Amino acid sequence: MDLQRLKPHFPWITLLVLVAFVGINDPNFLKPVNLLSLAGDIVPLFIMALGLTFAIYIGGIDLSAQSMANMITVVASVYLASLGLWAAALCVVLGFALGLVSGFITTRLFVPSFISTLAVGGVCFSVAQWLSGNRALNMDANQRDALFGWMIGRTGIIPNELFIAATLLAICLFIERRTTLGRALKAVGAGELAAAASGLNVTRYKMLAFAISGTLAAIAGLLFSVKLSGGAPTIANGFLLPAIVAVLVGGTPLTGGVGGVLNTAIGTMIVAVIRASMLYFGVQATQQQMVFGLVLIVAIALTIDRSKLRTVK
Amino acid sequence: MYQLKAVDKKFPGVHALKAVDFQIKRGEIVGLVGENGAGKSTLMKVIYGAYQPDGGTVTIDGKAVRFQNPRQAMEKGIGMVFQEQSLIPNLTVMENIFLGYERQFVRLGVINWKAMSEAAKKQLAKVKLDIDPATVTSALSFAQRQLVELAKVLTLEERVDGDLVILLDEPTSVLAEDEVKMLFTIVRDLTKRASFIFVSHRMDEVMELSDRIYVMKDGAVVDVVARGAATAEQIQQKMVGRSVDQEYYREQRQKPYDAAKVLLEMDSVSLPGRIKDISLKLHAGEVLCLVGTEGAGREAILRTTYGMRTPVSGKLKIKGNAVSGFNPQAAVAAGVGYVPRERKIEGIVAGMNVYENMTLSQMGRYSRAGVLNVAAEKALARDWIGKLSIKAHSEYADCGNLSGGNQQKVVLSKWRSGGSDIMLLDHPTRGLDIGAKEDVYEMIRDMSDDGVGVILVADTLEEAIGLSHTIIVLKDGAIQQRFECRPGAKPTLYDLLHYMI
Repeated sequence: MDLQRLKPHFPWITLLVLVAFVGINDPNFLKPVNLLSLAGDIVPLFIMALGLTFAIYIGGIDLSAQSMANMITVVASVYLASLGLWAAALCVVLGFALGLVSGFITTRLFVPSFISTLAVGGVCFSVAQWLSGNRALNMDANQRDALFGWMIGRTGIIPNELFIAATLLAICLFIERRTTLGRALKAVGAGELAAAASGLNVTRYKMLAFAISGTLAAIAGLLFSVKLSGGAPTIANGFLLPAIVAVLVGGTPLTGGVGGVLNTAIGTMIVAVIRASMLYFGVQATQQQMVFGLVLIVAIALTIDRSKLRTVK
Repeated sequence: MYQLKAVDKKFPGVHALKAVDFQIKRGEIVGLVGENGAGKSTLMKVIYGAYQPDGGTVTIDGKAVRFQNPRQAMEKGIGMVFQEQSLIPNLTVMENIFLGYERQFVRLGVINWKAMSEAAKKQLAKVKLDIDPATVTSALSFAQRQLVELAKVLTLEERVDGDLVILLDEPTSVLAEDEVKMLFTIVRDLTKRASFIFVSHRMDEVMELSDRIYVMKDGAVVDVVARGAATAEQIQQKMVGRSVDQEYYREQRQKPYDAAKVLLEMDSVSLPGRIKDISLKLHAGEVLCLVGTEGAGREAILRTTYGMRTPVSGKLKIKGNAVSGFNPQAAVAAGVGYVPRERKIEGIVAGMNVYENMTLSQMGRYSRAGVLNVAAEKALARDWIGKLSIKAHSEYADCGNLSGGNQQKVVLSKWRSGGSDIMLLDHPTRGLDIGAKEDVYEMIRDMSDDGVGVILVADTLEEAIGLSHTIIVLKDGAIQQRFECRPGAKPTLYDLLHYMI
C-alpha cells in the first residue's frame, strides 16, 4: 500500500539519487555550465519523447518517431535551399500528416499501433534513403545560420534549445491538463470503452494523439538537422530506445492513462544523467544501447498497470 | 476456531474496516450482510488472505496467523468460492479441480489421467454432482459450475489438517430457485466437513441458511443476529440505518406520462440476428421497460438508440428528427444518455476523478475553444455530490475507488447534469444493495417528474413491473406483447413470463 502511494514519486527520487551519485563521483558534473550543456544536448531527444508521451498516454506506442526524425533531417537539408523558412513548415506538416496516417491505420484498420507505426517508420526511412540518394547531406552554413541560427545559439550561458524545449513542454502541458483534447486522451488511456460510451469520438482523439507524436518527432528531426547542419537517413538512429525509456522512466506506463508530459521531462533528465554517467564511467558508445535496453525493461516492469492486462502475448 | 479481533483496514481516504470482531465455530454457517461499501468484500479479502489487515489479530484455534497471499490462507484451510467463477472454461472438470496441484498424479512427468479422474469423482461426490470428470467445463450449466467450484475448494480437506472455512461470495446470483435449494442442501450437508461464510444480497437466502448473521454498516459490525432472532425488515433496517420503504419501487410517485410528447420513435427497426421489426414510442415522463430473456434483443435496442449499432432497415426518430448517422456523438447531442450494464468498464473511467467523469460526455459545455473551465467542472461535481449524497471524500476522488452504488450515481449525474432527456438504463441496479437501489428508483421517478423519457432494462421482473409505465416483452428479437402498467393495475409475473418463453 505504501509502495503504491510512493510510486508516483519514483521518477524524481530516481533523478535526485542519480544526480547525487554522479555528482559525488565527479564534482565537475554539478557545475552549472556542464549541466546546462548536458541539458541542451538532450533537447532533440526530449522533443521526440514529448511526442511519444501522447501515443503512450492513450495506451499505444509510436515506433516511427526515430525514422520520422531521420526523414525530416533529410527533408530539411534538401528543401532548405529552395523553400527557406518554409522548409520548417513542410517538416511539421509532414510529421502531422504521417502521424495521422499511423492513427488511421491503427483506429480504422484495427492494426495495433506497434505494427502500424513500425510500418509507417519503414516508409519514412525509405523515403529518406531515396530523397538523399543514401548519402549524408549538408546544409548551406550561411543560410542555416540566417534562418535557424536562433535555435542553436546561446542566451547568456543558457542554450537556446532549452527555451524551445520549455515552450513545447508548456504547450504540451497545457494541452494535457487544460484542454478537452487532453482530458479525452486521458479518458481513452484510462478507460477507452467508457470514453466511447460517453459519446467521445475516440477514433478522432486517437488519431490526433499519433499526429501530435508525429509532429513532435518532426520538430525533433528539424532541430537535430539544424544542430548538425545536415541530414542523413540514419543520423538519428539510437534515439528511439532512449526516448521510450524517457517516457516510461518518467512514469507514463505502456498501459496509458497516467503520467504525462511533465513526467517525460523528468524521465528525459534521468536519461541524460544516465548517458552522462556512462561517459564518466567509460562505457563505450557502442555499449550504451545495452544499458538503455536494460533500463527500459526495468522501467516497463515497474510502471505497467497489470490490472489492465489480462494476459500478455 | 477462526477468529478476527479488532481488525482494521485503511485505504487512502477510506476507513474500510473499523475494529471488526468476527468468529466462526466448527461446522457453523455464518451469514454476512451489508450494503455496498459497508466493508463486506474487504472483510472477505482479509479472511482469505488477499489483503493484510493494518491492525488487530487473526487467530486459528487460538494461534495467531498472518497470510501474505490467498495460497497461504488455503494452506491453513481457508478457501474461497468466487462470485465470478474462476474455472477455466476450456479445461475439463478434473483439470480445473486439481489446477496447480497436479503433481500428485504425475509419474515420470506424465499425468495419470485415470487417477486424477478417480480423485475428481471423489470430490464431485462430496457435492453430489454426478458428471464425468473429463467433461469440458464450458459444457456445464452455471449451477453445475458453481458446484465444481465448491468441489475444488473442498480438495483442501485432503491437503490440510485442521478445519476448513469456506467463503461463498454471492453463490446464488446466477442460479434458478430449485438450484439454490439444491446448493443449500449440499452446503448444510457439508457442515460436517467445513464451516461456511455466506455472503449474499438476497436477505431471505441469508436468513434461511445462516446460523448467525453478521450485519455490517460503514466498515463496522453493527450487530450479530442469531437464527430467527430478527425479521428480514429488522436486519435491513440495521444495514441501512433506516426503515425500508414498503413502497419499494416508489409506485406512489408514478404519474401518468405526457402522451402528446413523443421523444423517441422506432419504426420497424431491424438488425439481423439481433432485433427484427421493432416499433415503439417513448413519451416524456414515461418509463418504458424492455423485458425478455438474455439475448432477446433488449441490449440491441438500447445500443441502436445510442448509435452504437446501425440498423439495416427501419427508421429511428429522436424528437421528430430522423436519425441518419448512427454514432454516440450524434445521440448525445440529441439528448440521449446511456447507463451501460458494465458499470466498471463502460460506465465510469477508473483512474479519473469525479468531476472528470461527470463532464466527460459534455466537455463542450465546460470549455471554450477547447480549453476547459476546471473551476466550473468542480462546482458541478460538488453540486451533484451533495444532491445525490454521493459518498466520495471530494470531487478529486478516483471513481475507480468508489463503491458500486456511488459509481452509478456518478454515471447518472453525468447524464442528468448534461440535460439528457432520453435515458437508456441497462441494469442500473445490478450488483447494488438495497439502499443504493432505492436511491436509483428515487432518481428514476425524479427523472419522470422532469419529463425525461426512460428506456429501462431491469435487473428483475419485479423491478420492471414496479417501475414502468409501459412494458414491452421481447422474444428472439421481436416484440411479443405490450403492457400498460398503471399503479394498481400492473401485470403479474405470470403475465410477462407467458410471453417471454
